[in-house]
Amino acid sequence: MGNTLQIGSTIYCDVLIIGAGGAGLRCAAEIFERKPATRIVALTKVSHPQKSHTVTAQGGMAAVDPRDPIDKPIYHMFDTWKGSDCTADQNIIKKIVDASWGQITWLENHGMHFSRDENGRLSKRTFGGMTLNFGESSARRAVFEADRTGKGIMDTVWGEAMKGGISFLNQSIATELIFNGRRCVGAIAFREKAGDFVAILSKAALFATGGNGQVFRITTNCQQNTGDGLALILQEGLPIMDPEAIQFHPTGIVGPGILASETLRSVGGILRNKDMVRFMERYAPKMKELAPRDLVSRAIETEIREGRGILNPDHNIQHVWIDLRHLPDYVHDEQIPEVTGFFRKFVAIDPKKELCPVRPSNHYQMAGIPTNEFGEVQKDPQQIIPGLFAIGECACASFHGFNRLGSNSILELITMGKFVGERVVDYLGEDLGELPAGAGEKTFSQFSRFMEAKGKDNIGHIREAMQGVMTEKVSIFRTEDGLTDTIEALKELKDRADRAPVSSRSWAMNQELVHRWELDNLLTVSMVIAQAALERRESRGAHFREDFPERKDEFNYHTLASMSEFGQVSLGKRPIDMSLFEAKGEHYDRFGLIERKY
Amino acid sequence: MSRVYRITLKVKRYDPDTKRTWVQDYELEAGRILRFTDVFRKINNELDPTLAWSSSCEHAQCGSCAVKVNGKPLLTCELLVENAIEHFGGTTFTIEPLTTAPVVRDLVVDFDKAYERVNKAKPYIIDPSPKPAGESEYRISPRELERYVEATRCINCFCCAEACISSHRNFLGPNALMASIVRLMDPREQAREERLELLYSEQGVYRCHTSMACSFVCPKEIDVAHFIALAKADRFRSGAEK
Repeated sequence: MGNTLQIGSTIYCDVLIIGAGGAGLRCAAEIFERKPATRIVALTKVSHPQKSHTVTAQGGMAAVDPRDPIDKPIYHMFDTWKGSDCTADQNIIKKIVDASWGQITWLENHGMHFSRDENGRLSKRTFGGMTLNFGESSARRAVFEADRTGKGIMDTVWGEAMKGGISFLNQSIATELIFNGRRCVGAIAFREKAGDFVAILSKAALFATGGNGQVFRITTNCQQNTGDGLALILQEGLPIMDPEAIQFHPTGIVGPGILASETLRSVGGILRNKDMVRFMERYAPKMKELAPRDLVSRAIETEIREGRGILNPDHNIQHVWIDLRHLPDYVHDEQIPEVTGFFRKFVAIDPKKELCPVRPSNHYQMAGIPTNEFGEVQKDPQQIIPGLFAIGECACASFHGFNRLGSNSILELITMGKFVGERVVDYLGEDLGELPAGAGEKTFSQFSRFMEAKGKDNIGHIREAMQGVMTEKVSIFRTEDGLTDTIEALKELKDRADRAPVSSRSWAMNQELVHRWELDNLLTVSMVIAQAALERRESRGAHFREDFPERKDEFNYHTLASMSEFGQVSLGKRPIDMSLFEAKGEHYDRFGLIERKY
Repeated sequence: MSRVYRITLKVKRYDPDTKRTWVQDYELEAGRILRFTDVFRKINNELDPTLAWSSSCEHAQCGSCAVKVNGKPLLTCELLVENAIEHFGGTTFTIEPLTTAPVVRDLVVDFDKAYERVNKAKPYIIDPSPKPAGESEYRISPRELERYVEATRCINCFCCAEACISSHRNFLGPNALMASIVRLMDPREQAREERLELLYSEQGVYRCHTSMACSFVCPKEIDVAHFIALAKADRFRSGAEK
C-alpha cells in the first residue's frame, strides 16, 4: 500500500480535459481546428467517452434557423431569460444564442445524423417555454436526432477529437488540482484500472465533469454524476455558484427515474391524475403540458401531495400518468420510439395501450463552477484563475439562471465548448513547468484515510441515506425546518462516511474505493446545496421555498458558496448581468425583471 | 401486486492481484421489476461490497453494463428480474464478463482494448464531400437517411461482437464494421476507397459467417447483419446502387 501512494509517472500535455463528454470533446475539436497537433489529454471516469452522460440527452437543441421566416434570436433570448426567472446572465444568453445556428451547422457538417424534413433540411420541433413574439405562441426551434440527440453530439465530437489525435485516460478520476502560484498547471489523477496515481501537467486545464444528480434518489442522471468537479473546486477553497438551483424533470419513469423526454408532451402526451383529470389545465391554462419544467414538476407533486396520485407497488412510489394512447402509431414508431421503448423495457408497459407512470426526477444542475464568458474559472467576480476553465453542466456562466429551458443544455455544451476552445489556444504559448513539491499530498492523505477506516458500515447504504434525505427535503418543495434538519443529517452522514471501511485492500479496479471517494463528493455538494437553499428565503425558478413562495428583488444575485471545512459554508454574491436591458436597444424592456407566467 | 423472487447469481470473478478466477454464488430476494444493475447494487450493499461490475447511464444508451447472462450477451440495466426468469426459465443465473476484451476485475472488462477495433474503422467522416453550392449544410432526404439511420443507433456495447461466431482473431467484428459501413452510406463521406479497402481486407466482412447472431442479440434491435450483408453483396463500390 505504501508503494501505491505516490506519483507513478508524470504526463506532460498542452491541455488537460477532465471529463470527456459533449462539452469537453467539442472543446477539444475546436482546439484541434485552430491548432492541429496540440497535445490534449482527456480524462474520463467512465470506461470510454462514448459512455458519457451526454448520450442520454434525448429531445433536441434550440437554435433559430436564419432561414426561418418568423422565428428570431431575440425570441430565443427572451425565452431563456424568462425561463431562468431573471437570473441568467444576459451577456451569456446573447453570446450563446447568436452562435447557436453556426454550431448546429458545425455538427451537421461533421457528420451528426440529424432528423430531416422532406426537403432534406434539418427538422425542427417545439419544446416547453419555446415561444414566438415574446410568449405569443409556440415556436418550432429545436433541431434533433430522433430521440437520441445527445448521442448524436457525443458520437460526432468523439470522432472529431479522435481524428485530431486526442489521448484518453479512461476510467480515471482527477483527485487534486496542481497550482504553481495562482496558476493551475494540471491535476493529480487516479487510474482506476491500474490502481495508480499520475500527475498531469498542462498549460490549460478544463473541468467538464458534468452534473450532480446522484445527490438525489430519483434522478435521470447516470451513476457517475456525483458532483466530482464541484467537490474538487470546493476542496481547493474556491466557490461554486447557485448550488441551490437544481432542476427536476417533470416526467421521470417511475422506478429507475429514467427520463421520459419532454418530447412526449410536445407530440401531444397528456398528464392525468388518478381521477383521469388533465390537471395541467388548472396550473398553466395557456401552455398546459408545455409549461416550463419547474411548473409542471410542482403541479405533479401537488397532485400527489393532495391525494390525487397513484401508488406503484413494486417501487413503493407515488406517481401520475402520462397518457400517450391517443397518439397515432407513426408518432410512437417514428418520433418517440426510444422513449416508448423505455416504458416497455423498464416497467413492462405498452404506451400504445396503457397509461405510463411518471414522477418528477432530478435532472439538471443549473449550479456550477463560476466562469466568465470565456469559461475561465473565477475565484471571485473580479478575478480568474489563470489556466483553469470549466464548461458544460459542471460550469455556470450562467446561461440557465435558476431554471433551464429544455433543449438549451446541449446547446450550451457545444457553443461554450467552442468558445472555451478559442480561449484555451491563447494559453498554448505558456511553458510547462516542473511538478511542484507537495503535489499529491492531499490526495494521498485522503486515500490513506479511506483505506485505513475500520468502522462497520456500508458505503452504498450511506449514499442511499443521503439521497433519501436530499430527495425528501431539498428537492421540489423546500422549507426552513426541512433544510435545517438536512444540514444536521448530513453532518451525521459525514461522520458515518469517515468511519466506513473499504473492504478490499487491493488498489486495482477497487470499485468500492472510488465509491468512497464519490461519497465524500456527494456529501460535500449536498451540504453546500442545503445551506445555499436555506439562505435564499424566496422562490426563484427551480428553487421553491414553501415558506417563501414569491421571488424577491433583494435576492437578485447569484449565490457564491465555498466551504472551508465540512458544514462551514460561507456565502457571497455575484451580480446578474443585465446588459441586454441596460443597452436600451429594441425590445430591451423584455429583459427587465419580468414576471414568469405562462 | 408487487412480487418478490428468490434468485441465485453465479458470478464469474477474477482478482487481478492474484490472477485467480472463481465462481461465487449470491442468493438474494428481488422484486419483479428490479433490473440486474439494481441487483448488483443490492449485492454490493448487502452481501459483498467487493464485487466489481460496470454501468453508467442505466438507460440502455451507453452500453457499459453488457455481460453474459446464461451465456447470452445483454445489457443488465434493461434486464428485469421477472423477465429474466421468464426468458431463461429459472431463478439461477450464471453471470460472466464479455470475452471481447481482457477482464480487469470480476465483470469489468477493458473497453480501451475492445474499442481498438472500432477506432480502426474510423468512426468519423474522414474526408467530407463538398456541400451544395451556396449552402451551409448538406441536404439529405429522409429516404436516403432511412437507408442507414438504424446503424447510427449503435452504442458499442459489444454484445454483437460477443455473440459473433467468427472465431478469427483479426476480425473487426460487427459493430466496428457497421461504423465504417454507415459512413459509406452517408453522402457526406468522400473517403470511399479507404473504407472499402478495410471492409474487404483480411479483417473485413469475409470473416463473417452470416450466422446473424449480431442481429439476434443487439440490445438496440439493430439489424446489424443486414448492413454486413450489403457489404458482402458489394453494394458500396462506385457504380453499384447505394
